[in-house]
Amino acid sequence: MRKFITAYSVLALLFCFQIVFGTDVSAATESVGAMDGLSTLWNFTGFANVDYHNLIMIGVGLFFIFLAIKYDYEPLLLIPIGAGILLGNIPGADAYGVYAKDYLLSLVANGQLEADQVSPSVLEYLYFGVSKGIYPPLIFLGIGAMTDFSSLISNPKLMILGAAAQIGIFATFLGASALGFTPQEAGAIGIIGGADGPTAIFLSSKLAPHLMGAIAIAAYSYMALVPVIQPPIMRLIIPKKERAIKMKPPRAVTKTEKILFPLIALLLTTFISPSALPLLGMLFFGNLLKESGVTERLADTARNSMINIVTILLGVTVGASTQANVFLTTDSLKIFGLGALSFIVATAGGLLFARVLNIFLSKDNKINPLIGAAGVSAVPDSARVVQQEGLKTDPNNHLLMHAMAPNVSGVIGSAVAAGIMLSFLL
Amino acid sequence: MTLLSVESSTWTITILGWAIVFIALLFLVIIFLTVPKLIRWASNRKIKVVENGQEVVKSYNDISGETNAVIATALHLFFNESHDDESNVITIKQVKKRYSPWSSKLYGMTNYGFPHNVSKQNRYSRG
Repeated sequence: MRKFITAYSVLALLFCFQIVFGTDVSAATESVGAMDGLSTLWNFTGFANVDYHNLIMIGVGLFFIFLAIKYDYEPLLLIPIGAGILLGNIPGADAYGVYAKDYLLSLVANGQLEADQVSPSVLEYLYFGVSKGIYPPLIFLGIGAMTDFSSLISNPKLMILGAAAQIGIFATFLGASALGFTPQEAGAIGIIGGADGPTAIFLSSKLAPHLMGAIAIAAYSYMALVPVIQPPIMRLIIPKKERAIKMKPPRAVTKTEKILFPLIALLLTTFISPSALPLLGMLFFGNLLKESGVTERLADTARNSMINIVTILLGVTVGASTQANVFLTTDSLKIFGLGALSFIVATAGGLLFARVLNIFLSKDNKINPLIGAAGVSAVPDSARVVQQEGLKTDPNNHLLMHAMAPNVSGVIGSAVAAGIMLSFLL
Repeated sequence: MTLLSVESSTWTITILGWAIVFIALLFLVIIFLTVPKLIRWASNRKIKVVENGQEVVKSYNDISGETNAVIATALHLFFNESHDDESNVITIKQVKKRYSPWSSKLYGMTNYGFPHNVSKQNRYSRG
């Protein structure tokens, strides 16, 4: 924390340069030649163009990086996003960010630039994958290739918990509508409750591109904070006696079942929600690559190299899209508030449904209601939180494998929900 | 700004949307409760054998998870402990040193009096 404060103090000190020297050096000097060059150089630097909004966002970026390194909260996401926030908020670098084209076109409109001089920046090219919804399906391909659905297949009734936790999406949709967002914006905000970053980016790129930065940051931040948000809700809703329930070990799953799962699930879910095809299609395709046993090379690429590359590009560009002028708005604050609410509602929904489900189950087949919390996607963090909470109650009660079932069904559920939102609102 | 002021279509999307998610996953539940039964039924048909003139169904599907784990561990140990066939000749082969200017002693550092220029103290202090 001390290092973070030191780094931020240095930045604040640099900001003071502007106050000392002013924003326009050319006004202070009348000399020509070298001084003119220097003044032009000064006017192009970040120090001359810095604004406190930029500093706030740079602080947010540094905080993300700090959280990732110090507390190990989703470092694979928070470090690229944090670095992206820094890139997107360098003062005076509007011509090189993800919104470069918009900025250059505004210069053309003002007559400061010729139309043929408008050429997109590298970051803008990379951002194309986010704005056109290309990266999320590729991430889903990788997730499919690394996910083992065995726990789900061995105990399919746990899949319902994944559906129950999706109440977070629809409750937030309702809440956002009540706060005055348009139905499209409310749908995009609601998907934060799905606790699934790629799905949130995919849906917001279609329904509310102007809110995508805030939605993506909210979704990833709360996903990183799952170990902080979920445990108190679990302890509040589930009595200690029920937290100690031991579940039967999952049965062995045959290879045929594992191969049939992606095929059947692909056909069924995309028949029900065709708009979710880019996500669900890629998810189950990736899983088929893994389970078929004959395309190991492809599965290996999808779950390692490819998903790593796409995660880097997605993280950096989403981070860079949070330029202070488009991000620091009251709407963003509302989105963050609704996002927190959606995570709480989704967790509570999964837990309560698990308790209700237990009423109908025989004494031998009771489920530990804690696993309901894993229904909010956030793979595999929420399953890990369930395992830790289970161990706190009974050090011999391992719930990880059981929690993975609602966890992966939550991914399917949130993608189906995104498809439904698209069908209704697009 | 209350939930009651929200348009009716928003309520419709909320209720219908959640219901559809439930239905989609409920279908999957039903299918995957049925699939193992179908697989078991199909495999049982294959392994019907006739013993003493009577048809007997032998099923190997009820192997417990523990048994599977034991078999998997045994296979893992077996495959990891097996080695490639080796020649069993463990004597060190003599390596012929061919002449190369890169390794020639004539062009070595000693020719330039390298160690001789180093003071005695330094020479002995080296490892």
